[in-house]
Amino acid sequence: MTDSPYWNPRHETMPRDRLEALQLRKLRGLVGWATQRVPWHAERLRAAGVTPDTLRSLDDLRRIPFMTRDEWMAGQDENPPFGHVLAAPADVAIRYHTTSGTTGRTPLRVLDSMKDWEFIAEAWCYGFWGFGVRPRDIVFFAFSYGTFVGFWGAHYACEKIGCLVLPGGNMTTEQRVAMILDMGATVVCSTPTYALRMAQEARTMGVDLVSGPVKRLILSGEPAGSIPATKALIERQWGAKAGDTAGMTELGTIMMFESENQPGGTHIIEDHYIEEVVDPATDQPVGYGEMGERVVTSFGRGFIPVLRYRTRDLVVKVPASTSDCGRTWDLYEGGIRGRVDDMKLVRGTNVYPRAIEGIMREYPEVEEFQVHLYTAEDIRDEIEVLVELSDGADVEAMTRAMAKKLADAHEGLRIDVRTVTHQTLPRFELKAKRLVDDRTLIGGQGEKRTQA
Amino acid sequence: MTRTNAFGDELTGPQEQLAAAYDLLERVLRDHSDELAPFEQRNALKALAALWHVMDGLDLDPPQVYDLGA
Repeated sequence: MTDSPYWNPRHETMPRDRLEALQLRKLRGLVGWATQRVPWHAERLRAAGVTPDTLRSLDDLRRIPFMTRDEWMAGQDENPPFGHVLAAPADVAIRYHTTSGTTGRTPLRVLDSMKDWEFIAEAWCYGFWGFGVRPRDIVFFAFSYGTFVGFWGAHYACEKIGCLVLPGGNMTTEQRVAMILDMGATVVCSTPTYALRMAQEARTMGVDLVSGPVKRLILSGEPAGSIPATKALIERQWGAKAGDTAGMTELGTIMMFESENQPGGTHIIEDHYIEEVVDPATDQPVGYGEMGERVVTSFGRGFIPVLRYRTRDLVVKVPASTSDCGRTWDLYEGGIRGRVDDMKLVRGTNVYPRAIEGIMREYPEVEEFQVHLYTAEDIRDEIEVLVELSDGADVEAMTRAMAKKLADAHEGLRIDVRTVTHQTLPRFELKAKRLVDDRTLIGGQGEKRTQA
Repeated sequence: MTRTNAFGDELTGPQEQLAAAYDLLERVLRDHSDELAPFEQRNALKALAALWHVMDGLDLDPPQVYDLGA
């Protein structure tokens, strides 16, 4: 059995009707637990008339009110430091973590007990095992090991699996590349952006990663792990297979992972989560193949019950049969497609950063790029892409070709492509932020715009 | 009599032994926690926290164990 391609063969290959029965059973348990232990949840559930007994099918899930980050944050402000969400005494906790706080907001603070921390590793185990990581592997984490939860759970998952774990915190990129090679790491975990950054550094060091020991990259933290052009570029530069995962601090761990057969999307860990996809404007469910916002209900972390949490992530759910790995768990085709609030409206055209990245990564000569929105002459929205190109690139021909591709992908919208000097654009280790919106309110005398 | 899970499926012999190990740990921690030395109590809690996920994965629906300290 230890040669199983699945971490939990029963649950990962369970017929859908049994899987849904499992989810309904766990949902009833979670609603009962939240009602009993968290007055904030109890009040909301009571107002909606929801009790465990009244949940007769998964359709009844929709009777439960949505939970939002704003509500969670407001509770934290009113009742610091953890708000109204804890279902167990804080002194039982063994871990404290926060959201990354990259958007400048106060981070959400979360706690985990021993059992919940095991769950956090457990969810990552599904992903690592499913992508072919085994006890014989040597796994390097290019991760800063701070309060942001990031790859913490993945670290413990690899210990649980029995891998040799190399914690790469507090190191320069050069030191990380050197350690990967010196220790013969077979698996590297990082954000997609940082995987490219390490490859860039390896070239500077005169190191050939393709002939090196790394066989797999586990990517997380940004949507780019499922952008085909970005993934292909990473795989080419490392000579290794890249697998996407996605998680969030609010749940402590990942909710989805790419299986080893690389089906073009990420399987949802459906024995621990119910994932709905809704139209963010109408809140109504959307069907397979349609883009919408992920809404997640999590069974794993009893310390902080999460019921119908609005993630703001955009996804496209497709049935399990899309993948031939044998799992019965549905997938998100293309992983996380972006954020509901990522979309920018430029002269009437929707612009998604992910779509631009997909085009820019088709050019291996692009070392870094940035999407810049600004207001020209105080009357007109403009968009340009700033690029750093590697030496020897035919700048004029390349920027012309890029501008045409970008326009073709955006209903003819003019998007200028401009080269900038090497090392002038920011580099990222975590959650790359490649869109800068400097637009001002038209007629607003330089006042910054806050809406898309 | 063979133990069954929430679906009514019978456990295999090794699964049943794992479930019994969990039950035993849970009982010791619930009834005798105060009698245990720190190394006994904390290592037993850590083992319980790990085995909880075996129970969950087998659909044996273990209750929360925060009151035990896990």
